[in-house]
Amino acid sequence: MELKEIQRLEGHTDRVWSLDWNPATGHDGIPLVFASCSGDKTVRIWEQNLSSGLWACKAVLEETHTRTVRSCAWSPSGKILATGSFDATTAIWENVGGDFECVSTLEGHENEVKSVCWNASGTLLATCSRDKSVWIWEVLPGNEFECVSVLQGHAQDVKMVKWHPTEDILFSCSYDNNIKVWADEGDSDDWQCVQTLGEPNNGHTSTVWALSFNASGDKMVSCSDDLTVKVWGTENTEIQSGGGFAPWRHLCTLTGYHDRTIFSVHWSREGIFASGAADDAIRLFVDDNESQVDGPLYKLLLKKEKAHDMEVNFVQWSPGEKPLLASASDDGTIKVWELIS
Amino acid sequence: MDDLFDSSLNLEDTHYKEGYDEGHSDGLVAGKEEGRQVGLKVGFEIGEELGFYRGCVDIWNSALRLDPTCFSPRAKTIIGQMEELIEKYPLMDPENVQVQEIMDSLRLKFKMVCSSLHVKLEYSGYPKSSTEANDIQF
Repeated sequence: MELKEIQRLEGHTDRVWSLDWNPATGHDGIPLVFASCSGDKTVRIWEQNLSSGLWACKAVLEETHTRTVRSCAWSPSGKILATGSFDATTAIWENVGGDFECVSTLEGHENEVKSVCWNASGTLLATCSRDKSVWIWEVLPGNEFECVSVLQGHAQDVKMVKWHPTEDILFSCSYDNNIKVWADEGDSDDWQCVQTLGEPNNGHTSTVWALSFNASGDKMVSCSDDLTVKVWGTENTEIQSGGGFAPWRHLCTLTGYHDRTIFSVHWSREGIFASGAADDAIRLFVDDNESQVDGPLYKLLLKKEKAHDMEVNFVQWSPGEKPLLASASDDGTIKVWELIS
Repeated sequence: MDDLFDSSLNLEDTHYKEGYDEGHSDGLVAGKEEGRQVGLKVGFEIGEELGFYRGCVDIWNSALRLDPTCFSPRAKTIIGQMEELIEKYPLMDPENVQVQEIMDSLRLKFKMVCSSLHVKLEYSGYPKSSTEANDIQF
């Protein structure tokens, strides 16, 4: 197994914080597209050339955010892009005849927006911030967004928000070492914290930076400043009638693989999850079929040393039949990788 | 029989008690005045903040009377909830445990209405969670 570098993309003039593959691309002959965002206050749209297989920057979204753009997310239809910035706003971009226009700006957070995420149906957008709160916005006709609920429960900076891949259940992770699970119980607009995964539940002992779900949505992986990756599972992903909620529980902890902060983790549909860390390396983990009882259920598939010249901030697998891995780094570059067996 | 040196042996105790009594009565006066000043300041701030929200809610309600569709149903609901909270606030009972909870809820709902109405209103005395913390952000 080898992680082969397909391309190294330059363009951003500051660290690249995050990227997001457009979910509506990569099949039916539609070239793969992703967006990346950076400390240079811009968002770049990259499109694959089908004949060369290489990516080129198709658009630069600038002069909207006045500070670092920390997070970007395509809506499930791939038509709308949301970007969250340290300028406390979230911008909504629409592709109008090849040009990206900022069609709406969501204001409400007191300070830096750290992450944005769409729910599976594209009707709700979640944002989180250093102001310790998580906001849920409803998408209304005419590019209008209205705040449905403000979730307060984290004691510190909220690093990431992530919707469950099929259910309207929201997950958030924070500098307070906790992962919180939020659901709309009963009455509409009544979002409550239904579970907190923290130290008492075998949780993380330092900042939780990222979360990702497996394809079926019954497992979740989290990564942390405590140098571990943890896998969580649930019996039933659906919200029970009557508001019952199947809790998540700790399945295993992967210790000893990382010696610096793990910033990013992402699970592929094929069951391989990748981690991006402060040691400039990318690691891939898979199911361990031969694991002992009570032993770790996952094993290291490979470690790509010096994947970047500096810290790896973000990793994400592409959609499409043959997933590629994209990574974003403090070195200002994005790399696209292919897993060759 | 009384010890000849009794009074001088108790000198320290006597002075200690005198000093304590003097300090206690002076402390009562100073403490009362200080408490008065703090109460005046905090009471003023809370009254000002509640008054600010009351003013906003009254204007929004006036606008809604002229045109019931001028704000979204969700914003209307929250404005109504703010009104209830303001009326419920135990102004004359500062030690009521609900005081902080009601104020936090009011601040949150105010932010939600402002966001929904696309207005940037800010109560100037509003305490920021952390002002000018560090410039380095991750």
